Amino acid sequence: MTSMIYKRKSPLFVFLIPTFLMLAIFLYYPFVQNIINTIMNIGGLGRAADGMNTPWYVNYATLLKDPNMRTAMKNTCILILCTIVFQVGIALILALLVDTIRVGAQFFRTVYFFPIVISATALGLMFNLIFLYKGGMVNQLLLSMGALDSEIKSNGKMIVSWLDWKDQAHFLFTMFMPVMWQYVGFYFVIIVTGLNNINQDLFESASLDGADGWQKTRYITLPMLRNVLCTCLVLAITGALKVFDLPWVMFGAGMPQNQGWLTGTYMYDQTFNKMNVDYGSTIAVLIVVLGVVLSNVANRIFRPSEDY
Amino acid sequence: MKRKLALTLALTLAVGTQVMAAPVSLNVVTSYGGDDGNRANFEAAVAAYEAETGNTINDGSATSNEEWKAKVLTDFETGSEPDVLFFFTNADAEPFVTADKVVSIEEIRAEYPDYAANMKDSMLAVASDGKNYAVPSAGFWENMFVNKSVLDACGIAVPGPDYTWDQFLADCETIKENGYTPIACSLFEVPHYWFEFVVMNNGTIDNQLEVPTVDEEGKLVMDAVAEKWIAGLEDIKALYEAGYFPENTLTATDAETVELFGEGEAAFLIDGSWKVGYFVENHADTLEDYVVSYVPAKGERSASEAIGGISMGYFVTRKAWDDAEKRDAAVSFVSCLTSDEVLSTFVTTEVTALVNGASPAGLNALQQSAADANAAITGVVGAVQDTITGECKGDLFGNIQNVVTGSMTAEEAVESAIKLN
Amino acid sequence: MYSKKITPQKVIVYTILGFWALTTIYPFVWVILNSFRQKGLIVSDSFSLPLGDAFTLDNYMTATQRSDFKNAYLNSFLISGTVTIAVVLLAGLAAYALVRYTFRGKGLLYSLIMAGMMFPVFSTIIPVFRLEAMLGIAGSGNRWLSLVAVILPQIAGNLCFAVIILMGFIQSVPIELEESAYLDGCNVYQIYFHIIMPAARPSFATVAIFAFLWSYNDLFTQSFFLRYPQERAITGLLNEISSQAGVNYGLMAAAVVLVVIPVLVVYVLLQKNIIKGLTAGAIKG
Repeated sequence: MTSMIYKRKSPLFVFLIPTFLMLAIFLYYPFVQNIINTIMNIGGLGRAADGMNTPWYVNYATLLKDPNMRTAMKNTCILILCTIVFQVGIALILALLVDTIRVGAQFFRTVYFFPIVISATALGLMFNLIFLYKGGMVNQLLLSMGALDSEIKSNGKMIVSWLDWKDQAHFLFTMFMPVMWQYVGFYFVIIVTGLNNINQDLFESASLDGADGWQKTRYITLPMLRNVLCTCLVLAITGALKVFDLPWVMFGAGMPQNQGWLTGTYMYDQTFNKMNVDYGSTIAVLIVVLGVVLSNVANRIFRPSEDY
Repeated sequence: MKRKLALTLALTLAVGTQVMAAPVSLNVVTSYGGDDGNRANFEAAVAAYEAETGNTINDGSATSNEEWKAKVLTDFETGSEPDVLFFFTNADAEPFVTADKVVSIEEIRAEYPDYAANMKDSMLAVASDGKNYAVPSAGFWENMFVNKSVLDACGIAVPGPDYTWDQFLADCETIKENGYTPIACSLFEVPHYWFEFVVMNNGTIDNQLEVPTVDEEGKLVMDAVAEKWIAGLEDIKALYEAGYFPENTLTATDAETVELFGEGEAAFLIDGSWKVGYFVENHADTLEDYVVSYVPAKGERSASEAIGGISMGYFVTRKAWDDAEKRDAAVSFVSCLTSDEVLSTFVTTEVTALVNGASPAGLNALQQSAADANAAITGVVGAVQDTITGECKGDLFGNIQNVVTGSMTAEEAVESAIKLN
Repeated sequence: MYSKKITPQKVIVYTILGFWALTTIYPFVWVILNSFRQKGLIVSDSFSLPLGDAFTLDNYMTATQRSDFKNAYLNSFLISGTVTIAVVLLAGLAAYALVRYTFRGKGLLYSLIMAGMMFPVFSTIIPVFRLEAMLGIAGSGNRWLSLVAVILPQIAGNLCFAVIILMGFIQSVPIELEESAYLDGCNVYQIYFHIIMPAARPSFATVAIFAFLWSYNDLFTQSFFLRYPQERAITGLLNEISSQAGVNYGLMAAAVVLVVIPVLVVYVLLQKNIIKGLTAGAIKG
């Protein structure tokens, strides 16, 4: 349903051309190159292709068979679910709570933003020290609480069986927890913005009608936030598929024993470490396809019907 | 791979006197940026060159890693390469060598007969077309560091050049019983030092650089070369199963395991000459504890045989050579940076191609120990991993963790890697 | 709406908010404390106060004594400032059109935007570099051209995200405002600049913050295009300085602090625009 104002379509060009021109040159064209790379045989980064792969679809075939790719997909799916539940969930709760207070609201808005500002390298280093095997913060805490076994050797040397936070039993927690925590602030800022876009008159008239705080949240805030939450959902899905830096700093190439891959880290590793540039490009294509499909599905389900 | 070179000497700089025409500006790209151990030496040499000649050096140096290599290669493809480049001389350089984007030493000598005259011609890297292009800088060695304080606590003597594999296994057992970690190594991140030596242990120094092959169907050809690689991987697996690596060797980073060694919790560490600088920088108080020793030997190899060589050098690009204003400056810059005096600040104990050798001064305890070990070294050979493709190398070293845990056999790992070579 | 009484409900709210605030402040404090700690003490003892012998200003001295330091800040602000302004302008127009107009191919454009958000920078950087080198922008050794070489792909890289976010917000702007403006004789451009932009001002501020942040922290793109000393941006310069010392985490912490401060300043400045009330009047029109 379009308003009268938007019947004349000519301004569309002015609105859309600058953006899509930029995107075409610096995003779509390079990505088309990337798609071409998936069927070429490339010996290394920055090198020209030595002809086509035989058969040309070999990378796509590998993609289906590659056990590491399956692991990466599985972990990324878990990450998407966690992101939606924890990142967006916690951010929504925090935003709604901050919205109910006056004293200190500004303070909370500022400090919740901190984790996004600090570079992943620094955060990765910090979490590595927190979860360090020998004498890390968590392990020392556990030791002092007597939760770790230790024995004294005959020569007086104490042997502690430290908890390996990056082994197969614990790595999912150790990898996802920092990622969750870091990006709560991101969704928080977006949701707070959404809250502030809501017309205050709605609340005032609701108050006049005798609605209490919870009713206002349930019947005004959440419905009004629907678009914004839907945007968050899309961002959460695409973000999880692409997530790279913090897991990379903490876990590197698929630690532990190729169980820790994510689509983002696997793509980088194949391209920059394994020098398998054409296969890395293929993973990039898969990431994009998955992202588009999943976010369209999310949109179909959650976006109000008159839009997409 | 990062080739950090060991460092830190008082600066003894004297630059040959060249009389230059109008000052020019040279774009120079090297790997002496970031955390490179020779960064300060390089910057000092550049400053001295600038003062001497009046030329300015636009220094685009960075830390060497795969991204950096990709950038350099892309530069050549797009015509934005520097005037002088310090880069790897192995297969990595082939794209711009075959595209005739760099000038051979022979061609430069036709006009500047003294170019690289202080180098042993036999040690210049040979490109696929049989010509020499790069003037070598400081090289590297790989050998075994031991932590004396751990050995003392376990009643073990510092190994000599006759160290055997059986003796080593017995020592590891003793060290383990005493509550220390025998071998500091992250099999997850840097298994490649051990790989070189276990391969040599199952072969000889002369056939170290031979690489297995696959037949037309992609099956590994089971010849002597394949067998020594497989046997080498089995040796690593045996060490892992005996519990001689750190408990978390599959989830630890290299930095973590090196710290184990540095702090006196682990006894043995195979690493390269660049680690000397790391210990000087980070563990100056306990420098006396670290000794450069010998990697235990098996079969025909002697423990006094090690890995080493020169993997990087200075290239003059065609772009600079064809530029009448820059030709002279580029040649004089390379000559200056590879003069005996300047290289002596880069080289402490590393391999060098200098005819007269390097003359470093004021060695500290660890450097002295490395120099002593080098004096007893009877043979040096390049790393076989430098002769295989990046794809093959990445696959092989990524699969070592799977071999030791048994989720893949050694044969499968070798086959999978060689298929990519 | 807000009462001064302390109720149990309020106590719970403040406890939850306070707890989360602790988890976000602590790492920041940790970085600041360790930036004053003597080298070598961080691994052994990174969670105490750096007092007495452990205290040092060396890390900051080392990090700032490079002569090109000011230059690097300038480069960073030129790059990220331009990127931010361009992204907000272009993405706002596109998002407005995609929300309000119905036309053939709209679904396709939306999917293209969505796809664009997914492109990993690792797979687009080399073609972009080749293209820019062909145009003579990248790899020229000229400082200003090199900055442009970073700015262009960064704008493109941030546009998709900005369009998606702004679409979500513009959808929430009541269309009645636009209709009354139209009846008053405004054309679409006037409606965009006088109705939509003010009404969605918090959203524009939010997008600006993230565009600035990501451009500023995008070490990968910067290090690919900015090679020579006079071109280097602050993130790249400090990354290089902090990596020089290997495991000198104190120096690294100091570098982090020096990088983070400008972003926090920008955030606090722009955040004023997100605060409630400023916009309420505008919406009432």
